[in-house]
Amino acid sequence: MASRSILARRGPAFVAVLVLALAACTSAATPAPGAAVAPTGAPTSTGAAPRSLTIDLGDDVATFDPGLQYNTASYSVYRNIFDQLLGRDANTGQIGPRIATSWKPVSQTEWEFALRKDVKFHNGDPLTAEDVKFSIDRILDPAFKSPQYQNFSTIAEVRIADPATVRIVTKSPYPVLLAQLVNLSIVPVKYTKEKGAAALNTAPIGSGPYRFVEWKKGESVSLAANGSYWRGTPYFDTVKFRAVPERATRVADLRSGTADLAATLTADDVKQLSADPKLRVPTANTEAVAHVYFNVLGKSPAAKREVREAVAAAIDPKKLIDALLGGQAAPVREMLTPVHVGYDANAPTFSYDPQKAKEALARAGLASGTTLTFLTSPSFDQRIVQAIQGQLEAVGITAKIETVDKPTYLKKIQGPEHDWGDIRYGEWSCSCLDADGVIYPLFRTGSIWSSYSNPAFDAAVDGARGTLDESKRQALYGTALRLLHDDIAAYGMWQTRAIYGARATLDWQPTVDEQLFVFDMKNKP
Amino acid sequence: MLRFVARRTLQAVLVVWGVSTVVFLLLRLSGDPTLLMVPPGAPAEAIDRLRHQLGFDQPLPVQYVQFLVGLLRADLGDSLVQSRPALAIVLERLPATLLLGGAALLLALVVALPLGVASALYRDTWVERGGLLVALLGQAIPPFWLGLMLILLLSVRTPLLPSSGTGSWQHLVLPAVTLGSLTMAGAARMTRVAVLEQLGQDYVRTARAKGIAPLGIVVRHLLRNAAIPVVTIVAIDVANLLGGAVVTETIFAWPGIGRLVIDAISARDYPVVQATVLVGSVVFVLSSLAADVAYGLIDPRVRTR
Repeated sequence: MASRSILARRGPAFVAVLVLALAACTSAATPAPGAAVAPTGAPTSTGAAPRSLTIDLGDDVATFDPGLQYNTASYSVYRNIFDQLLGRDANTGQIGPRIATSWKPVSQTEWEFALRKDVKFHNGDPLTAEDVKFSIDRILDPAFKSPQYQNFSTIAEVRIADPATVRIVTKSPYPVLLAQLVNLSIVPVKYTKEKGAAALNTAPIGSGPYRFVEWKKGESVSLAANGSYWRGTPYFDTVKFRAVPERATRVADLRSGTADLAATLTADDVKQLSADPKLRVPTANTEAVAHVYFNVLGKSPAAKREVREAVAAAIDPKKLIDALLGGQAAPVREMLTPVHVGYDANAPTFSYDPQKAKEALARAGLASGTTLTFLTSPSFDQRIVQAIQGQLEAVGITAKIETVDKPTYLKKIQGPEHDWGDIRYGEWSCSCLDADGVIYPLFRTGSIWSSYSNPAFDAAVDGARGTLDESKRQALYGTALRLLHDDIAAYGMWQTRAIYGARATLDWQPTVDEQLFVFDMKNKP
Repeated sequence: MLRFVARRTLQAVLVVWGVSTVVFLLLRLSGDPTLLMVPPGAPAEAIDRLRHQLGFDQPLPVQYVQFLVGLLRADLGDSLVQSRPALAIVLERLPATLLLGGAALLLALVVALPLGVASALYRDTWVERGGLLVALLGQAIPPFWLGLMLILLLSVRTPLLPSSGTGSWQHLVLPAVTLGSLTMAGAARMTRVAVLEQLGQDYVRTARAKGIAPLGIVVRHLLRNAAIPVVTIVAIDVANLLGGAVVTETIFAWPGIGRLVIDAISARDYPVVQATVLVGSVVFVLSSLAADVAYGLIDPRVRTR
C-alpha cells in the first residue's frame, strides 16, 4: 500500500497545520472597547492597593444584552453594567427610584416617569428618555425575538414627553407594571444603533456602577468600577465573575480563598462552610414557593376533594424542611410568601394530621387506600419528591412517581387534557413579588399552567389584575386565597432559601430577589 | 494513492454526516426547547409565537433539509441561548479542550510507557505488581471523585495548586491528572502486554546474543515494535478523552467544549449541541487519521508495503 507512505510523509506537515490553526484561535477573550476610550473608569481607591472581588456563579454569562437574556448568570452580571428604571430596597424589597426618580399613574392605563438628568453611559453619552423608550421598544419588536417579551407584553406604547419624562401606556390596567420595570435595564440607543445590536453583547456599554472589561468565554467576566457613577464610587475597583458549574468546586474555591463569594449553594454545604472561621454563610428567603399542585380537573383520584384533603393532611412540611433542607426554608401558609403583594397573613392553612387523612380517604370510599400518579422531572429536588411519597404511603396512599425530562414535563402539564397525573411538586417564582405572577398563571381557568377552575376565583384574580387600587387588590387576593384553600387546589409548603458562601470579612446581605449588586458589597472594617 | 486519500476523506465525511443526523434526530425526539425558554406563566400564544420564530413548528423533514443545507455552508445556526453562530461558539472553546486533552495524553504516556515497560521487564516482582496496582487504580477510580479529592487535598488542605479556572500551567495540573488517569491505566496495561509479547520474539534473542545492552534492546528494537498496538489504543482513547472532558471540565470550571455541551443540552440549545458533536467527531476522525500516519512513521514495513 503505497498510499500509506504518502500520508506518512505528509504527517509532520499535517501536524504543523493543526498547531498553527490552534494558535490562531487561542485568544477567545473579547477585548474591551471601553478600556481604551472609557473616560469614566479610573480606579479610585486612594493610595492603597486596588480592591478586587471574585464571585463564583454556577453558570457562564450567555449574553450581556438585557433584551436577549434568559439565564440567571447573565442577569446577575449585566445588572452591574446597566442601570434599571426602578430598583428594590435591599432590606425591605420595596420598589424605589433608580433612573426614574418619581412616577405616577396618569390614568388607569398610563404611567408617567420622571428621569434623572445627570446619568451618563460609560462612553460619555447622556442617558435620556430616548434610551428608555428604545430599551422597551426593542423587546416588544417581534423581529428581535426577545425572551423578555412576555414580561413586557402588556405595554402598548412608550411616549417621550420631554428628554427627562417618559409615559408608558398599557393595553389594560396593569398593576404589576412597576414590578416588571424593576427588571428593565436601560441600554444606549445611540451606541446600539451605531455599532449594531451584537456590540451590546460583545462590548456592552451601560450606565451602571461597573463597566465591562473582558469576557473569557466559558470562564469569567471582568468588570471595573465606573468612577463617575451617579450613586457614588463603587467600593470594589474590579470584580470578576467566574463560571464554576460544580457546587463542590465553588465550596473548595471559597475555602482555598480563590473566591470571595459563591452563589447557588445548598443546605448540604452549610455545615462545611460554617465550620471554617474564615467564611460565613449569608442566606435569604426567596420569593419561590415550594408547593404540591393538584390536578383538580383530571379524571384521576385527585379530582375528588377528599383525596386532596387526605394528601394535604398526610404531608408534614416541617419534617421535610428539617430532614432534607437542614432547616433552610421558611414555612408558609399559602401559595404566596410574605414578600408578595397580595400576601395574606391570616389565610387558612393546612396542618399535618395522619388520622384526618385516613378519615378523608374513608369518606371518599377509599379506606383501603388509593394510587396517585406523582409527575416530576429531574430538575426538581427528587429527595423531596420521594419523601412526600413516603409520607403519603404512611396513610395508605400509594404515589407512583413518573419521571420525565423537563420539556416533556412542561408539555404534559400544559396540555388542555389535564391528564398529566394527580400531583406534582414545584417551586414557583415570578421575579415580580406579586400575587398576579403566581396564582393567576397557576390557577386561572384557561391558563396553560392551570388544572383548576372556579368562576369565583377567576373573578377575584381578574379584578385584582384590572385595578391599580392596592387595598382593593389586597382584598381580592384574600378572597382568591381562601377559595384555593377551600377547594384544596394546591398546598403551599415553604419559601425556599438562597444560600451563599462568603469570605467572613465581606459585608453584604443577599436580597429576596436574589440580586448580586456588587455596588452594595464592601469589606468589613 | 489518491484513491486511498479520497476514500478516507469520503469515509470521514460519511461518519460526520451520520453522526450529525443521529444527533439531529435524538435532540428532536427529546422535546421542544421553546417551553424551557419562556418565563413561567407565559401565555400560550407567546409560546407559539416564539416556537414559530425559531422554526420548531416546521415538520421534521423540512427542519432536517434546512439543517443539511446549513451544514454544507458551514452554517449550523445561531445558538438559542447566546444568539451567536453556534460553530463560532464551539471553535472558541475548542482550544481549551485540546490543551487539556493534549496535556492529559502527554501526562498519561509519560507515566504509562515506563510503567508498562518496567512491569513487563521485571515480571513477577514487586515492580510488576506495583505497576498493575497503579493501572488498576487509574481504571477503577471515577474521574469526578478523583478530581474532587485532588482539589480537597492539593487546593484546600495544602494549598499547592489552584482549585479551578485557567491562567497558568498550575491550573492545568489537576484537571490533566484527573482526565489522564484512565488513559494512563489503559496505555500502561497495553504497553506491558505488547512488550511481553515482543520479549519472546526471535529478534530479541538475536540482539541479546549479539551482546547489545538490555536498555539498548528495549529502546532501539523492542519499543518500536511494541508501539503499534499502543498507538491504536491511544488513538481510540481520544474519544474517551473528549468524553471525559465533560466531567473534568465541569469539576475544574475549565472553559472547554465538554462543559459547553452539557450547558447546551440542559438548555436544549440544539444548534450548539449539534455543532459540538460535529466538531468532536471531526477531531476524532482526524486523530484516527493521525494514527494511520503514525503507523507509517513507526513501522517502515507499512511504508514499503
